Amino acid sequence: MSTKATYAIYLGIIAGLAALGLLGDRFMVYMGMRVMLLAIFALGYNLLLGRTGLLSFGHGALYACGSYSMALVNLHLTQDPLLGILAGVAMAALFSLIVGFFCVRNTEIYFAMLTLAFGMMIFSLIWNLREITGGDDGLVGISRGSVFGLPIVKDGQFYFLVLFFFGLTLWLVHRIRSSAFGLVLAGIRENHQRTSFAGIPVKRYRLAAFVVSGMFAGLAGSLGAMLQYNTDPFSAHWSHSAEPVLVSLIGGLQTFSGPLAGSVVFVVLREIIERYTQNWMLWFGIILLAIIMGLRGGVMGGLEKRLRQRAATRKGGE
Amino acid sequence: MGEILLKVKDLNKAFGKVVTARDLNFEIEAGVLTSIIGPNGAGKSTLINVLTGLLPLDSGHILFKGEDITGLPTYQRVRRGLCRSFQVVNVFPELSVFENVEIPVLAQMKKAGHIFRPVVKEKAVAQQVMEILERTNLAGEAAVIASALSHGDQRLLEVGIALAAKPSLLFLDEPTAGMNPVERVDILKHIRRISASGETTFVIVEHDMDIVFSLSDRVMVLNRGDIICDGGPDHVKGDKQVRECYLGEEVVA
Ligand SMILES: Nc1ncnc2c1ncn2[C@@H]1O[C@H](COP(=O)(O)OP(=O)(O)OP(=O)(O)O)[C@@H](O)[C@H]1O
Ligand SMILES: [Mg+2]
Repeated sequence: MSTKATYAIYLGIIAGLAALGLLGDRFMVYMGMRVMLLAIFALGYNLLLGRTGLLSFGHGALYACGSYSMALVNLHLTQDPLLGILAGVAMAALFSLIVGFFCVRNTEIYFAMLTLAFGMMIFSLIWNLREITGGDDGLVGISRGSVFGLPIVKDGQFYFLVLFFFGLTLWLVHRIRSSAFGLVLAGIRENHQRTSFAGIPVKRYRLAAFVVSGMFAGLAGSLGAMLQYNTDPFSAHWSHSAEPVLVSLIGGLQTFSGPLAGSVVFVVLREIIERYTQNWMLWFGIILLAIIMGLRGGVMGGLEKRLRQRAATRKGGE
Repeated sequence: MGEILLKVKDLNKAFGKVVTARDLNFEIEAGVLTSIIGPNGAGKSTLINVLTGLLPLDSGHILFKGEDITGLPTYQRVRRGLCRSFQVVNVFPELSVFENVEIPVLAQMKKAGHIFRPVVKEKAVAQQVMEILERTNLAGEAAVIASALSHGDQRLLEVGIALAAKPSLLFLDEPTAGMNPVERVDILKHIRRISASGETTFVIVEHDMDIVFSLSDRVMVLNRGDIICDGGPDHVKGDKQVRECYLGEEVVA
C-alpha cells in the first residue's frame, strides 16, 4: 500500500474516533478511551514482539512506572497533565533502560524470564512501599486539570487528549517501522547472528527497541491513571504484560494495524462477555483460541492475505 | 608486497579432544587471493568462526590491520573491514532480497540508527544495494522474499550480504556449494573481478579443486588443526604430504 493511502486510512480512523468523542454517549466515549489506551500500549509493545522478536513480561511494570510517576507528580508537584505525562514517559524510559541493560545480554528465552523477574520486583516494590505508592489501594485523587487552558475534567473532554496521544503514537510507530532502524529490528528478529555480521551491535539495538516500547507503555500508563483518577498496583503485575501480547496476536503480529484491530476486539469482546457471565476469562480464552488458531497472522494478517489473494486472482483473470 | 591485513599468532582452538587449530601462525596479505582447503572436519569453518568472533579462541592473538582484535565482538570486526559468508545459507528468510542486502549497507553507511526517516528515502543506500544485487545477479529478484529463492540464488544472496559490508578482507565459506555450473562460473567471475579491483581481499574455503587451483594466488592446506602446506598453487599441487592426506588421485589425474 502506498504511504498516502496508509495515511488516508489512519486519518479516517482518527476522524471516526473524533466523531465518536463528539456524538457518542458516556459509555461509548469511555470504551473508546479504553481501546485507544490499550492500542497505545500494544502498538509500542509490538515494536518489541512483532518487530524485534522479543517477548517481555516486564511491560506491565513499565506501564505502572508511567501511572505512578504521573500520579506522584500530580499529587505532590503540579497538576499540569502534560508535565505528569512527561514524567510518566521519562520514568518508564529510565526503568526500561536499567531493566533492558541486564535483559538484552541474553538469548530470547532468558530475556523473557529476566523481564519477568524485574517485573515481579517492581510489582512487589509498589505493593510494599505503602507510604509512597499507597500499597494495595494505589494512589487516589488524581486530578486532570487543564491543557493550555482547556479543561479536561469531563470524560468527553479528556477523550480528546487521549485521541491526540493515540494519533501521535500511530504516527510515531508508523515512522519507526518504516525507518532504517525499524528494518534493522526486523533483521534482528529474522537472524540476529547475521545482523551482527552486517556490522550492527545487536544488543544495543535490542535495548533501544525495549526502551522505545517501554516509553509507549509509560504513556499508556500515565493516561490510564488519569482516566481512572487512581493507580492500580495490579497494572504492574506481569500478567498485565500478557494483554498487549494477546492484542497483537489477535490483530496480527507482523502488521502495523494488528494491535489496533486487536485492541478493539479485546476491549469490546471482554465488555460483552462480562455482561453475560462471571467467568469471562473462560469464554474469552475459548474465543481467543478460535481467533488465534483459525486466523493465522491475526485479524489484520488474515485480511491482508485475503486481499492479496483476491488481487492475485483478479490479475490472473485479466 | 601488499599490506598485511591479518596476522594470526599462536592460535589454538579445540572442542574437547577435537583440536581444530594448533599453534597456527600465518598472515594474509592484501590483494592475494587465498584458498583454504582440507578434508571434512579439518577445522576450516571453525577457523573462520574464531577469526570473525563467532567463537572464542582458547589462546593466541588476532591482529587486523595491525590492531589486536582478539577480544572484539563480531560487529566491531565487521566495522573494521573483516567479514564472512556462511557455509550453510544464513540469510534473513522473511525479508526481501533487497532488504537482506540493505541491512549491511545501512550499517556500512552509518545510517542504521535513523529512527524517523523512511528508509525508502535513503537513495544512496538503495543505489548501493542495487549495485551489490547486480554484481551477484540478483537484481531481478530484488522484491522476492529470501526464503522463496532457489537454493542457488540463496547462495548468491549469502555472498551478496557479505559483500555489502564492504569488507577489506572477506572469508567465503564454500561459496559455490549447491550452485549449478553456470552459477559457479558467474560467481567466480565476479569474485575475480572484485578481487582484481583491489577493494576486497578474498579468502575462500572450497572443495572444488579446479576452482581452487585456477582462482588462487595462494593455497593453505589445513588438516586436523595444522597447516600442512602453504604456498602457490603449483607448490601445493606438488606437495607429497598434501597428496597423501587429502588430494589423493584427484590432482595427479
Ligand atoms: N560448535 C562446535 N562444537 C563442538 N565441535 C565442533 C563445533 N564446531 C565444529 N566442531 C568440530 O570441529 C571439527 C572441525 O569442524 P569444522 O566445521 O571447522 O570443519 P571444516 O573444515 O569446516 O569441515 P567441512 O569441510 O565439512 O565444512 C569437526 O570435528 C567438528 O565436529
Ligand atoms: Mg566447513
